[in-house]
Amino acid sequence: MGKTGTNPKAILDLDRIVHEPARLAILTVLASAEEVAFLFLQRVTGLSKGNLSSHTQKLEGAGYLETVKAFQGRIPVTSFRITEDGRTALRAYHQQLRALLPKEGKP
Amino acid sequence: MTTTDLEALATLTRNYAVFQARKSGLATALGGLMAVLFLTAPMYVDALGVRPMGHYLLEYLLLAPFAWLVLKTLLGRVLYRDLGEVKASPDAAYERRRWFWILGLALFIGVFLSLCILGFASGFLRANPAGACLTMPSLAALWLPLLYLAPTPWMLRGIEEARVYAVLVGECMLWFLASFLAFWSARPYRQSSMETASTVVQIVLVILLLGILVWSALAMVRGWKEHREYLALLRALPREA
Repeated sequence: MGKTGTNPKAILDLDRIVHEPARLAILTVLASAEEVAFLFLQRVTGLSKGNLSSHTQKLEGAGYLETVKAFQGRIPVTSFRITEDGRTALRAYHQQLRALLPKEGKP
Repeated sequence: MTTTDLEALATLTRNYAVFQARKSGLATALGGLMAVLFLTAPMYVDALGVRPMGHYLLEYLLLAPFAWLVLKTLLGRVLYRDLGEVKASPDAAYERRRWFWILGLALFIGVFLSLCILGFASGFLRANPAGACLTMPSLAALWLPLLYLAPTPWMLRGIEEARVYAVLVGECMLWFLASFLAFWSARPYRQSSMETASTVVQIVLVILLLGILVWSALAMVRGWKEHREYLALLRALPREA
């Protein structure tokens, strides 16, 4: 137990897949809708195509999102949807972070 | 990235998804405008010096709800899909309200047509006990407005557009009835007239028409406001990396 009453192990226990800012943004966007197109995700997170692809691959590898590939006419469209594991991980991450942050009025 | 940033990101996504699900905005405003044009259609008929059944104007008007559906689809494709599709999370309450409007419209058309057919049949039978005046095919034509129901479950994805469509179809039903009456009228110009209607019917019609006028004005304002909000939402998005 540290000086502030925080368990340092709890900080290290944070899900590192979710903890990365870009991936946290991606999961937040996906959790707010049923299915999100690559284009919107790229625009809303401000990431480059390559960066976004790399992060979504990592999240897919962890089982937090699934890729949906479809065609609109002849144009291939890639979309993503968050999995139940992804939702649970995001919820758990928020709870962990809230528990780690100092309460209001206490430094 | 702060909690506020994340909350803003989630709100932005939800709002965008709602806009995409409704695809209203300009389509609602356009629907309001069309409803006003419908309301004032008799003025053009008089101004042009044409009689309803002597001109195709009325038939074109009867196709207006379908024209609005096509325009709405085009506007949706052009305006509300430019950043890729975002499907909103399922909302049972919203879906229930959407179906309330669609089923309400179906019920209205069904009751309206049934009453028309019963009224026509009893009227003609009273006037011509032999029943030779009204042939079966002409009576069957009264069921044609049921075609308005065909595209409803697939093309009306939002409550606002279900409401616009219901008003346009409701107005069309009045025109359809006027057209039918005019066609079967024995008057020289085959024109139906309000003067034969009872005072109660006239008052109901005036209230109905005023109601449509107020609704149209509100729809135009609301639609335009929604479109402006959508543009503001697009401006709120971060610039491309």
